[in-house]
Amino acid sequence: MKSWTIKRTVSSVATAAVLTLMSGGVGIAADAPAGFPTGNVTIEIWWHEYGPFTAYVKELIEAYKKVRPNVTVNPVIMSSGDIQQKVAVGFATGTGPHILDQDASFYELYYNKGLLEPLNLNVFGVKSYDELLAKYTPGGIAAGTFGGKVYALPYQGNSMSLFISNKAFKEAGLDPVKNAPKTWEDMKALGPKLKKVQGNRTVQKAFDYPYHSPRWEMQMFQPLVEQFGGKLLSDDGKSASVNSPEAVKALTMWRDVTKLTGDPKTTKNTSSNPNQDFIDGLTAMWTTGPWATSQISQSAIKDDFTVVPWPQVDPAKPHTIVYGWAWGVNKAKPDAEKVAAWDFVHFMLAKPDEWLAKAAFVQPVKGVNETAVAKKFPFFDVHMKDVAVASWYLRSEYSAEIGQSVGRAIERVIYDGADPKASLDQAQGEVEKVFKK
Amino acid sequence: MSASACAPGPAVKRVRPLSLASKQAMFAYAIIFPTLAILLVFRFLPMLQAFYLSLTQYDLVHPPKFIGFANFVDLVQDPLFLKSARVSLTYVLFSVVPVLPLSLGLAVLFNRSLWLKNLLRSAIFMPVVMPAVVMAVVWTFMYQQDGVINTILGWLGIDPIAWLRSSASALWAVILIGIWRATPYYMIIFLAGLQAIPADYYDAAKMDGAGRWASFWNITLPLLKPTTLLVVVMNVIVAMKVFAVPLIMTGGGPGDATRVLPLFIYQTAFEFFDMGRAAAMSVFLFVGVMLFSFIQVRLFTRGEELR
Repeated sequence: MKSWTIKRTVSSVATAAVLTLMSGGVGIAADAPAGFPTGNVTIEIWWHEYGPFTAYVKELIEAYKKVRPNVTVNPVIMSSGDIQQKVAVGFATGTGPHILDQDASFYELYYNKGLLEPLNLNVFGVKSYDELLAKYTPGGIAAGTFGGKVYALPYQGNSMSLFISNKAFKEAGLDPVKNAPKTWEDMKALGPKLKKVQGNRTVQKAFDYPYHSPRWEMQMFQPLVEQFGGKLLSDDGKSASVNSPEAVKALTMWRDVTKLTGDPKTTKNTSSNPNQDFIDGLTAMWTTGPWATSQISQSAIKDDFTVVPWPQVDPAKPHTIVYGWAWGVNKAKPDAEKVAAWDFVHFMLAKPDEWLAKAAFVQPVKGVNETAVAKKFPFFDVHMKDVAVASWYLRSEYSAEIGQSVGRAIERVIYDGADPKASLDQAQGEVEKVFKK
Repeated sequence: MSASACAPGPAVKRVRPLSLASKQAMFAYAIIFPTLAILLVFRFLPMLQAFYLSLTQYDLVHPPKFIGFANFVDLVQDPLFLKSARVSLTYVLFSVVPVLPLSLGLAVLFNRSLWLKNLLRSAIFMPVVMPAVVMAVVWTFMYQQDGVINTILGWLGIDPIAWLRSSASALWAVILIGIWRATPYYMIIFLAGLQAIPADYYDAAKMDGAGRWASFWNITLPLLKPTTLLVVVMNVIVAMKVFAVPLIMTGGGPGDATRVLPLFIYQTAFEFFDMGRAAAMSVFLFVGVMLFSFIQVRLFTRGEELR
C-alpha cells in the first residue's frame, strides 16, 4: 500500500522555526513571481461547502485582491458530495476551475490522468521540491506528491481521535480520562456500562463505527487492518488485498465491538452531519477529527467532552489514519493563469494558525503546534499524537471503487449478519475486477 | 375590341394555389419545427452519442477508445450490475402496481361532490410539487428511530423499525415514497379521464338498472383504458429512472439494497470515471424501458385490434 507513515515529533520543532514560518517562510512575497500575468485575469476556484471554511476562503479572496489587484478570483462553492463529479465533468468538458479543492485521496487519479499542474516552485520561493517538503511534517504532503513532484497541497490533514461525552461517562460512574478505552478490548468492556436500551429502543450507544458513507467506513477500516499488521494496497499500488487475514480480523473485531457497544440501525448521522449521534447524545463515544471541535462546542455538549487517542489493537504498535483535503491546479489552463492560481494557493496557505483558528483545520506544516492558537485549541496535543502514528487514507486510482466494495462488505456483515471472510472475499473479487480494467 | 387586345400574350405559368390541407400541414410543420430541433439537439443527438460511448472505453479525460460490445458482455456477467437491475425491477414493480388502484380510487372519490373537495385535492397534490431533494430529506427525518413514523408505530405498540438502516426494509421505505409521490399525480390524470366520460352513459346504465359497481366495471374502466395505458407507461418510465431519493436517503445502501440502476450508472460514470460502461448500462436501461412500454401498449391495444 502506498502509505506514508507520519512520524511526527511535534515537540522537536523550534519556536524560532515557527516564527520564521509564520512571518514569511511560506508567506506570500510582495513581488509577483516570474510568469505572473501583467494584465487583468480571472481565475476560478471550486471548494466544498463547510461554513467556517467557506467564510475563511472568502475572506482570503478579499485579502488577495489587495495584494494582486489585477487578479479576480471567482469562487464556486458546492457540497462535498457533488464536488468530485463536478470536477470530473469540468475536466472532461474543459470547464473546470483553475484551482480545485478535493479530497487528497483523489489526486492520484487526477495525476494518473495527467490533469494536474505541478506546483510552481518559483511562486513558493523554493528551489526544489525537497526544500518545500522540509517545511511540512514528514509525510504531510505525501498525498499530493507523485514522481518526486508536488501536485497538491493540503489545507487540512485530519487525525481521527476518540471523542468522549463527559456527561455519559459520569452518569455511568466513569472518568472520561482514566477510564477511556486504550484498546478495542477496553472498548468492548465499556459497552455494557455505557449502552442504554429501553425495550427494543437503543437510547444511548456506547460507541459506534460510522455507516453513513463508504468513505467513512474505509477511514475506520484501513487503520484497523493496519493495527493488525496488514495493508490494503500493495506497495506499488497495483493490487489490493481487502480479504487478507488481517482484514478479516479487523472486520470480525468491528462486528464484535459493534455487538457490545453500538446499534448501527439507530443513527442520525448523514454525510452532511456525520457527528449528529454524538451531538445529540445518542452515542457516548465517537471517532472524528479536530475540525468537528467547533461544531461540538456549539452544540448542547458545549465543552463537556474529552478527546483521547484512538483505541488500538496493541497500544505498543499504535496506528491511526490521516485524511485531508488539498488544493490543486488545473493543467489545462493558460500558463500565466496557472502561475496566478498557484500564487493564490500560496497566499491562502500562508497562515496555518489562521486556518486552525477560523476553520479548525490543521495544516500538516511544521511548527503549527507551537502557535498560540494551537496551544489554546482543545486537545490539540491528542490530535497530533494520533497524526504522529497515522497513514494517509489509501491512495489509488481506484480508491472510490475500493471504498465502495469494502463499505458494502462491512454493511453485509453488520446489517445482514454475513460472515466477515465471505463478505471480504466478495469485495476482493470486485476490487480485482476493477484493477484488471 | 382592338386587335392587340385579342393577340395571344406570352404564356404565363399559373401557380396552383395550395390546398387548405397542405397549408395546414405546412403550418403544423412550422409550429413543431422548433420543438423538433430542440429534441434533436438536446435529446436524440446525446442519445446517439451515448450509444456510441457504450461501445468505447472512456474515462472522461482521454479520447474514447472503441472496444465493440465488450462493455455489454462484461455487464451481463457482472453480479453488481445484475443486482442493481434486480433492485430497479423490484422498485418498478412494487411502486407502479399499487399506484394504479390508489390513484384511480382517489380520482373516483374526487370526481364526486365532496366537502372541501378543492382543498383536499390540493393537499393531496402537494407531494408532486415538492422537490425530490426536499422530500428525501423530510422522509429521512420521518424514518429515523425517533421520527414520526416510528412514534406512531410506538403508539400502536409496534417496535421501532430501522427503515433506512436495514437491508430488509430500506428498499420498501424508498418504494413507499415513490408510491406517495406518484399517486396524486396520476390521480389528476385519471380525474381528467373520468371527467371526459359523458354523464349520459351513466344515466342510461342507471335506467337499465345498473348499480354503481356495474357502471364502474362496464363503463368507467373500459373508457379509462387509454388513460390507464398512459398512467402505466408513464409510471414505469418514471420509476425506472428513480435516482434522487435513493441517492440522498441511502446512497444505495445498506450494502447495495437500494442501489437502483440510475444510481449505479451515476456512480460508474462520475465516481469511477468509467463513462463507457455507464453508457452501456444506460443503453440497457433504455432498452428495458422501451421494451416495457412496447409490451404495455401491445397488451392494452390488443383487444381493439381484434375488434
